[in-house]
Amino acid sequence: MDQGNLLTLPVVPWGVESVGRNGHSQLLLEFYDREQTPLKRYVAMLGIDPETARDIVQEGFLKLHEHLLAGGDQSNLRAWLYRVVHNSARNRQASFGQRKTSRLEDLTPAASPLAKDLTAEQELLEKERTERLRQAIGKLSEAQRACLVLRTQGLKYREIAEALDLSVSTVGENIQRGLERLREMI
Amino acid sequence: MTCDGLSWDLLVRAVDKELSQEEEQFVVGHLSACGSCRREYVQIADLSLDIQSLVSRVTVAACDRARWEAVTQKQEALNPARQAPARVMRRVGWGMAIAATLAVGIILAPRPKSSSPESAQQAASVPGEAAVSSAIEVDGETFIALPYSNPDLPVSAPRIVQMQVPVSSLADVGIALDPAANDVFNQDRAVLADVLLGADGQPMGVHVVSWE
Repeated sequence: MDQGNLLTLPVVPWGVESVGRNGHSQLLLEFYDREQTPLKRYVAMLGIDPETARDIVQEGFLKLHEHLLAGGDQSNLRAWLYRVVHNSARNRQASFGQRKTSRLEDLTPAASPLAKDLTAEQELLEKERTERLRQAIGKLSEAQRACLVLRTQGLKYREIAEALDLSVSTVGENIQRGLERLREMI
Repeated sequence: MTCDGLSWDLLVRAVDKELSQEEEQFVVGHLSACGSCRREYVQIADLSLDIQSLVSRVTVAACDRARWEAVTQKQEALNPARQAPARVMRRVGWGMAIAATLAVGIILAPRPKSSSPESAQQAASVPGEAAVSSAIEVDGETFIALPYSNPDLPVSAPRIVQMQVPVSSLADVGIALDPAANDVFNQDRAVLADVLLGADGQPMGVHVVSWE
């Protein structure tokens, strides 16, 4: 996995002055453009339907804006935002139970982006593997799934720990056990 | 455990680039010599890429960036107190009440005992400054003490209200603005001023902000 493109935000003075009284700072807009899709994917992977996931992420960015306006801590805004979104997703799940949750297989198209480069047999094998992986991820514990998905979004263990309110060692254990289970199941 | 002390934990963290410098040296050294662990490392990396690929294909609903920008701009507009703490900037309502109080105070106030031509001339050379002798310093802002201010009242938790004050009222209490500062300046006009309110709600001082 290429970790060279980690979306690590620079530490910048994102207080009221730089957010601006006449609009948004360029950094905040860039942050929005860069993070909103990964955030929505993360929320969806928790079993939330796409429209609700979008609302949760929009609310998360509004809270981030309020946080910045109030001069809140800016040491790791990405982890802060993931924590807010994660908690909102959990609250939504608790409030509407299973009514609006989505199954993973409904959210992820079976077609692989590499399918056009594969032979028919390879494509079939790829689809079967993807299907097994999808089912296996759905059987992981919520903590394991959350840690693994956040890992694919480029978050470091420290950031995942902050987002999920876990220790760094627990994050490591969840990732290792999650990968072990996936390997066993597929 | 894979072999010779190279644990699954270390391999996963190696894939995730979460190793300390010492651990990294150990793992790299081991992988260069152990084909079994290299295969294990590649399998973990492949599985990780598969998960990433699956997550990247999750269907998402489009966000409306313009709507988000509009809402956040409204948020900023609704939170002026955070942008200018400790300063009340109401020009109507409160301002009208304070203006009335100030006008009454100015009318009833005794004239300053001494207002020498020299001091008036000195003030006149600095636009916006006034020819009065005492001043009150609050939050880095200097207010001309109004003659009717009660010096015994505490200045704790003062409030500052920005309002329009008639130039004629200021002149009545010896606060003479520089006529040369603005060609259209006249006694019928009002100037924008910060008015310092004491703990009793009465105006204690004034600072002319703009006479434009």
